[in-house]
Amino acid sequence: MDATVSPFALSLDGSIAALFVVLGLGVMVSRQMLGTLRFFMWQSVALTASALVLADALQAISLLWVALITFSTKVIAVPLVLRWAAGEEIYGRREVDQALSISASVLVAATLALVGWFAVAPVLPILHGTPFALLNLPTGLIMVLWGAFTVALRRESVAQLMGLLIMENGAFFGSIAIVHNLTVIAEIAAAVDVPIVALVIGLLIRSIRRVTGTTRVGGMDKLHER
Amino acid sequence: MTALGTRFALNLAQVAFLLIFAPLVEGVLHRLEEIIQGKRGPSIWQTYRDIWKLFGKDEVISEESTWVFRFAPIVAFVMPMFVVLLIPALTAYPLFFAFMGDMVAVGFLMAVSGFFVALAGMDTGNVYAAVGASRTHMVGFLAEPVFIMVFFSVSYVANSTIPYFVNATWGASWGSMLQPSHLLVILAFFLLILADEGRIPVDSAAGKVEIAMISHSKGLEYSGTSAALIKWGGTTKLMVLAMIFVNVLVTPWGLAQGTQWTAILTAIGLVLIKLLAFVIVLAFIETTLAKLRLFRISEFLSVAFVICLFAVSVRLVGIG
Amino acid sequence: MNASWLPALILLIPFVGALLALLNRRAAPYMTLLAAAITPILAILAALQVESHGLLTGTDGFFALDALGALYLLPVSFVYFTSSLYAIGYLRERRQKHPAGTPPRYREYFPLMNIFALVILAVPLVANLALMWIAIELTTVFSAFLVAYEDRAEALEAAWKYVVLTSMGAMIALLGVLMLYYGTHAVDQPPSWDGLLKAAPQIPAPLLLLAFVLWLIGFGAKTGLVPMHTWLPDAHSQAPASVCAVLSGVETSAALYMLLRIYPVLASNPGIHDPAAWYMTAGLITVGSAAFMLLQVHDFKRMFAYSTIEHMGIILTACGIGAAVHEQGTVYQLFAHGFTKSLCFYAAGLAGIVFGTQEIAKVRGLISRAPAVGWALVIGTLAIAGAPPFALFLSEFEILYTGFRTGQYLPTGLLTAFIVLAFIALAYQASRIAFGEPATAADGRSMPKVRLPRTSLAAMAMAIIPVFIFGFYLPPPLAHLVHQAAYLLEVHG
Repeated sequence: MDATVSPFALSLDGSIAALFVVLGLGVMVSRQMLGTLRFFMWQSVALTASALVLADALQAISLLWVALITFSTKVIAVPLVLRWAAGEEIYGRREVDQALSISASVLVAATLALVGWFAVAPVLPILHGTPFALLNLPTGLIMVLWGAFTVALRRESVAQLMGLLIMENGAFFGSIAIVHNLTVIAEIAAAVDVPIVALVIGLLIRSIRRVTGTTRVGGMDKLHER
Repeated sequence: MTALGTRFALNLAQVAFLLIFAPLVEGVLHRLEEIIQGKRGPSIWQTYRDIWKLFGKDEVISEESTWVFRFAPIVAFVMPMFVVLLIPALTAYPLFFAFMGDMVAVGFLMAVSGFFVALAGMDTGNVYAAVGASRTHMVGFLAEPVFIMVFFSVSYVANSTIPYFVNATWGASWGSMLQPSHLLVILAFFLLILADEGRIPVDSAAGKVEIAMISHSKGLEYSGTSAALIKWGGTTKLMVLAMIFVNVLVTPWGLAQGTQWTAILTAIGLVLIKLLAFVIVLAFIETTLAKLRLFRISEFLSVAFVICLFAVSVRLVGIG
Repeated sequence: MNASWLPALILLIPFVGALLALLNRRAAPYMTLLAAAITPILAILAALQVESHGLLTGTDGFFALDALGALYLLPVSFVYFTSSLYAIGYLRERRQKHPAGTPPRYREYFPLMNIFALVILAVPLVANLALMWIAIELTTVFSAFLVAYEDRAEALEAAWKYVVLTSMGAMIALLGVLMLYYGTHAVDQPPSWDGLLKAAPQIPAPLLLLAFVLWLIGFGAKTGLVPMHTWLPDAHSQAPASVCAVLSGVETSAALYMLLRIYPVLASNPGIHDPAAWYMTAGLITVGSAAFMLLQVHDFKRMFAYSTIEHMGIILTACGIGAAVHEQGTVYQLFAHGFTKSLCFYAAGLAGIVFGTQEIAKVRGLISRAPAVGWALVIGTLAIAGAPPFALFLSEFEILYTGFRTGQYLPTGLLTAFIVLAFIALAYQASRIAFGEPATAADGRSMPKVRLPRTSLAAMAMAIIPVFIFGFYLPPPLAHLVHQAAYLLEVHG
């Protein structure tokens, strides 16, 4: 693995990582459904950008594929699917319910970020052969944790789906730095996977909206042990 | 002239630059916002005309008010001038007063001006002004931790809080410019400017409804010369913050390296261009976002806080 | 015999089945049944190949099936078949009861079921870790609408919880999968089980441990490990019984299969201390919680769902207790659970038709109202609880015996206590449903006999056969296969 990458590329990737985190925070706390979706799109753009930077710095052709696939599925396909699934509700400036207040959840997010960092800290020294991993792996893990937290936090189906998708963004953001040579088959399959997941969940959201009249899932709490 | 004398003169030039161009910055901002909204908007010189007109008007002062009311506009007008002495406005090298105070002092000077204006607001007995004063302080309290975190991260990165050194640290190379922590600090500081300057989404500068105002209702009682000073002071404050933002944080280049007049004039031109870019961004944000409800401001600032926390922890773990 | 085409064929059959079911809606149930009937035959052929050659590879290393995979493939294909048979009559019966005539999802059911079976079958067959992950993620995706089949608010709620929680787990596991990818790549090994095992000693321990923790959380959510289990009872109470059988019997084990297979990798890395402790802790928490929940369930389909959680926990604990000493109970339990649990859900589904409700408190005397279903339910419950002479008795006995023999008294003692508790709970609940006087109609006459769909009864009868036979007789090739599979979980060198 090429350990002599330029500091410029490293810094650029670092900035993208910072943006990636901030946009993830946006997905978590944005009050409006459309806002959440936009933050997610921009985050996917950041993932694309990071993949491009890494592709150039590491001379890895397969990362170009990752960039292309990410862009076409997450920035173009997923929003289209969601707009179709949630219908006009996504344009409604309706506020998204949260289980916690935003200030509290933001603090939880900060704690999670530290947890992510400490979890990944013992791994970092062994990744010295892959300079980008020092930035991308913690960022990715944090985004996975944040995504999970977003899913738990939000009571709105579209926002929960966004949480799932930023988890996936996080997993890819972390892994493009360490595995820039996934076999092409795995990449294509992963690319097919994301739209399928989004499509099926979108269909489910559509059904929920048809049956319950809203895309809100916070009120669905009939099933539990008595 | 001696070197010291030149630097002193340059310091004065900075103040003059601030006083002369501050109304223009605000005028351009107004015009741009109106254009984005699809209107023609007032001339970019309108703020100068307003200030000129106000200077020519009679002043009415409530009998109930005290000296605080008369004193506050002067403080509000003078403090940004003090601040500009401390920051790299035109030159990349430290000037005469540069070591008088650091970024904490900048924050302090701003706070003094805010404090007096708030006191003056309560002094008149005008209900809206008092409400505005208390709201301003609420925003201020919430912004305080963010301010502190910004200072932490800045000093952590640059090992100094003197604005000139911070500027030099970040301007050193592309590598240091693009550090994640730097980027995060920029973002957090921008959110702070929005909150501190009473811009959308925290407060609407163009709003005309007293009940919804936060910082702008404090000046309602002023007229004549005092009103002119308050208005002028407001524009210089915006410009000073914008200069800290663009010259120290975002684009720490383009400042004069020498003392020649040509270098200074080029620097003036470049700083104005940077300010224009800042104003364009600000205008876009102001026109595309909606004002937050009062109780949502804490959320806005808590996001800024976490971004700052991130900037510091990125440095702490040593990966940025 | 060159059998490298077998894995591809096993996957091709359900695909064709799905296509045919999509093209001809009227014949869809029978096309599905046809595809599902061919699959077990092929699976048995593949298992025989594995038994004699040790490993079955195909299509340029794209597929790789070893003994553990084959042992998992068998129940999957069998349950796929019985479930397809069961669904024909069962869904028609539900269709007639549905207020709006045909439920809106009836037409989607059969194509989806085929694809669902396809992706589960792919898990043990594909050779690449990333593809396995994708297969597991797709099992969630394609079964979402099977869970939401009834299209009521509750069913959608269950489906939503199911999809969101398990996809969340899948995303967490994805990062772990990619880390292992890196680990194998760094030492020039392919990202397959074999390559992973060979690379294991050289993968840096912190990386491997982090990847494993991500797996445990991620795949644990899909497996139903406590506390990520909440989706499981909900989904099982709402989904049609034919879906529950697949979901509970084999789909949850797909993620468990991944967790089991990573164990020897962990154990052969010198930097990781006592990986068994992770398995035993996670497993015992799950078994214990499930055993206590079993005491207070109110819905008999939820009861079997909790029993699934319990079994997943038992298998995980067993892996921790016994993998080091060549203990065959773990893999045998994984194998037998698929058959047994499908039987339980078939009986529960028919009981639901008989009573029109799933509430334990409202149902009595199933045996006198529908003797076949009643006895099947009793047999299924006893079998799943681990009573002799059924298959699960053998495996549980062996697990506990190994635990005590090797002196691991605390975990084994706890496991024993929980299994006994679960046994008592299951037996108590099942006796309430099956025995006693049936409720009478308002005018004092006994309730009318319910006509039960014949295909469903046939499927149930077929499901009993392996549960019974494997309790006291293993065909020699199968015994050899179990032996080989247990060998794969062991640590060598």
